Amino acid sequence: MASDAERVEEEEEESASELLRDRFRLCTIAIAEAEAKQNGMEVSQPIMACISDLAFKYAQQLAKDLELFAQHGGRKSVNMEDVILSAHRNDHLSASLRSFCNDLKAKEPQSDRKRKKNTKKEDKAAADVLHIADP
Amino acid sequence: MEDNTFDPELIRTIFRLVWERRGAEREKNQFSETEAEVGPSTSKRSRLTSANANALKLSCELLRVFVTEAIQRAATMAEAEGNHIIEASHLERILPQLLLDF
Repeated sequence: MASDAERVEEEEEESASELLRDRFRLCTIAIAEAEAKQNGMEVSQPIMACISDLAFKYAQQLAKDLELFAQHGGRKSVNMEDVILSAHRNDHLSASLRSFCNDLKAKEPQSDRKRKKNTKKEDKAAADVLHIADP
Repeated sequence: MEDNTFDPELIRTIFRLVWERRGAEREKNQFSETEAEVGPSTSKRSRLTSANANALKLSCELLRVFVTEAIQRAATMAEAEGNHIIEASHLERILPQLLLDF
C-alpha cells in the first residue's frame, strides 16, 4: 500500500515535471527561433527539441548549484551573487551577467537606507573582483 | 536587450520543484541515519530554499544566453557548409565546447 502511494506520488511529480518541461520548451523555441531568424537561419524541429531539453537539464543543474551556493553562504535564499558564481568558469559569461546584474540594481527603485546597504555590498563585491584580478 | 526571454515565474517553479525534491531526499536520508537525534535543527533544515526576484531574472538571462549561444554556434557551423537549416550534425559539433563553457 505504501509503495502504491509512493508510486502515485512519483507519477504526480513526473507529470508536474513534464508540464514544466513543455512550458519551458515553448519559451526556448520562441527564443531560439528569434535568434535563428536574426542570423537568417532555420532550425529543424528535432534540434529545437534537443536544445530545449539541454536547457531544461541545465536549469535543473543550475537549481542544484544555486541551492548549494546559498547554503554554503549560510542563506536560505538565492541572490544574484550566487547566480554569477555559477558562471565563474567562463569569464565572459560572468562579466556579462555582472553587467546585467548592475542594470537590474540600477533599475530597481530603492529606499535610501537600502541603497546605502547595496552600495556597500557592491563595493565589497568590486573589491573582491579586484582582489581576484591581481594575483 | 531583446524582448524574448524566459518567464521568471516559470523558472521559479522549475527551481522550486528541484529544491522540493532535494529537500524530501535530504529528509529521508536524515530519518534513516539519525532517527533518534531529532533536534531543533531539523525544522530549520527542512525549510525550502527560495530565490529573490533579481536572482531569478539573472537566471533567466543565463538560460537565455545558453540557448542563443547554442543557436549562434550551430548557425556558424551550418553557414560554413553553406546550409540554411541547422541540422543535428551542426549541433553535435558545437555541443562539447558549449557544455564546457556553461
